[in-house]
Amino acid sequence: MIPSPSVRRGVRAFAAAATLAAVTACGGGGGGGSGTATATYVDANTYSTTAGASLSTPNENTAVTHHSLTLNGAAIAYTATAGHLSALSSSQAPEASIFYVAYTADGAAAATRPVTFFFNGGPGSATAWLHLGSFAPKRLVTGVPATTQTLPFPYVDNTESLIDTSDLVFVDAVGTGLSEAIAPNTNQTWWGVDQDAAVLRDFVQRWLSVNGRTASPLFLYGESYGTTRVPVLTRLLETAGQRVNGVVELSSILDYNSNCSVEGGTPTVNCAGFLPSYSAVGTWYHLATAVTSDSDADIATVTLYADSTYAPDAAAWLAGGTLPPADHVAALAAFTGLPAATWDQRFDMDYDTFRHHLVAATTLGVYDGRVSALVGSPLDAADDPSNSFVEPGFTAAIETVLPNELGFTTPSTYVLSSDAINTWNFSHGGRSMPDVVPDLSAALSLDPSLKVLFLGGHHDLITPFHQTELDVARLPAGAPVTLHFHPGGHMTYLDDGSRPLMKAELAAFYASATGAP
Amino acid sequence: MRTTTLSMTLWAAATLAQAAPHLDPGAPPPATQQAAQAENRTRPASVGAALQSDAERHLRASFDAADAAHRGTLSAAEARAGGFGWIANHFDAIDTRHTGRVSFDDVKRYLALRDAGSATK
Repeated sequence: MIPSPSVRRGVRAFAAAATLAAVTACGGGGGGGSGTATATYVDANTYSTTAGASLSTPNENTAVTHHSLTLNGAAIAYTATAGHLSALSSSQAPEASIFYVAYTADGAAAATRPVTFFFNGGPGSATAWLHLGSFAPKRLVTGVPATTQTLPFPYVDNTESLIDTSDLVFVDAVGTGLSEAIAPNTNQTWWGVDQDAAVLRDFVQRWLSVNGRTASPLFLYGESYGTTRVPVLTRLLETAGQRVNGVVELSSILDYNSNCSVEGGTPTVNCAGFLPSYSAVGTWYHLATAVTSDSDADIATVTLYADSTYAPDAAAWLAGGTLPPADHVAALAAFTGLPAATWDQRFDMDYDTFRHHLVAATTLGVYDGRVSALVGSPLDAADDPSNSFVEPGFTAAIETVLPNELGFTTPSTYVLSSDAINTWNFSHGGRSMPDVVPDLSAALSLDPSLKVLFLGGHHDLITPFHQTELDVARLPAGAPVTLHFHPGGHMTYLDDGSRPLMKAELAAFYASATGAP
Repeated sequence: MRTTTLSMTLWAAATLAQAAPHLDPGAPPPATQQAAQAENRTRPASVGAALQSDAERHLRASFDAADAAHRGTLSAAEARAGGFGWIANHFDAIDTRHTGRVSFDDVKRYLALRDAGSATK
């Protein structure tokens, strides 16, 4: 039904301007045979994601391929553009060579067609997760939370693609994927909360300018650390005078200081925001007795208990090691299935203790607590079955999708996860660890029509949904925020039941944020 | 009341020993976490007026960065060149005294008036 891209073999370099002309020439197209040039590109640069790496020969060449996707019976012709574009400072000094893959619908009106920039997190994670797994025109099939899908993961037309709503640009941050700082900068130059957001602001502005899209409704979509990155980026873009219509935050960490999962030392952070997630996982294994599912009603029951009873109990334990009356511990055991003795040992329950002690001789996934492995089994080797199951499939797929589907070939290795976090400058807003609620607040102050959508999974054990609710509750009453959480893990879109729900929520969000009916 | 049997220090050591490298979001280095813990004792997460003050601090930092000459005021051209294009885009509404230059207090006044106006709509 869907033709594979008709990629012409051979090397043909496109300058940015030529790419613009090619994309523009798609106007009025409507099918794979619109006559617009297809071009593969072999990029001879060797891109590096190490801290000291510094590119001296940046290029802005792209591979351009043409495709079609049928959604709800309608064929959507689109162009895929893969390559680099330089982020430039206000004085036009080159800062970094940013790798991106853009999917743009042919024949759309630039003034009204939204464009969305996607960012994974880490810091140090490339955006291959969102690119290959979420709402692009094609996606990888994982079958999560089952672990029966064999490699390679099938790469199929995505009936939940957002391409019917927005153009989609998947962006690798500096020192991830194939993005690298331009000399005299090094990757380390941009490895900080503020530095990273600044260089990505410059990239977004350059991409919009080069592609004639400065008037298009603009959306930013972050996942994980990307939800820390995107509020800072949104504030910087709004400050610069570039309006942002909507922000999508998937699996959020808005405040590193409030999330007890990033805490490695003596516990000081209240884990009450995690209790509803522990309960959802406990019901998945049929171990919880006070609730039976992750239905809205059950989640509301646990959330009420978390806020009214567990939060003050955990605060007392943190302050003085004092345990509450035994019936409180029994209630927690009933909500989660985690034995009372485990709560007695570590009452402010961290996710690592929870996922290693809920089911005997079994490790539960960090990203998706529903994915498990027997201790000592191959899937347990890296201590996170939910990551170990999907990472090889994504790592392998990006190496074939770039040349075979998108016409982009490079001798470089696309780095899914770099060491950026080891030397990342986390300081922001006068704090050693970032709190970006003030950034969202500032952006909303500059642009009261900006809207924010928070999405996430009930079974994500690292950025739990109720912690997001607590962080978002700091914004003033009436703030233009919407929250939706579904069964699933950190990469909630991998769940075949939840992805269609998220797609519908995204479509409604885009309509409201662009003033469409 | 009962007290916990296992010391927090033991838990801290056990947690650090099993740190996994691939996590996203990953934990900042221990020294960063310890510094943050010390700060958080005296500076809890901001809400209400304190949150507004935190937000304003970001905007003031951008204003000061654009104000390369340290005059305390910006022209529209200086604002745009200095990365605060939002001020340039709203300049006439902010510059109520028509001096051709605006201070950060002028920006705050404009935002407060705009919010007060939208609240009555």
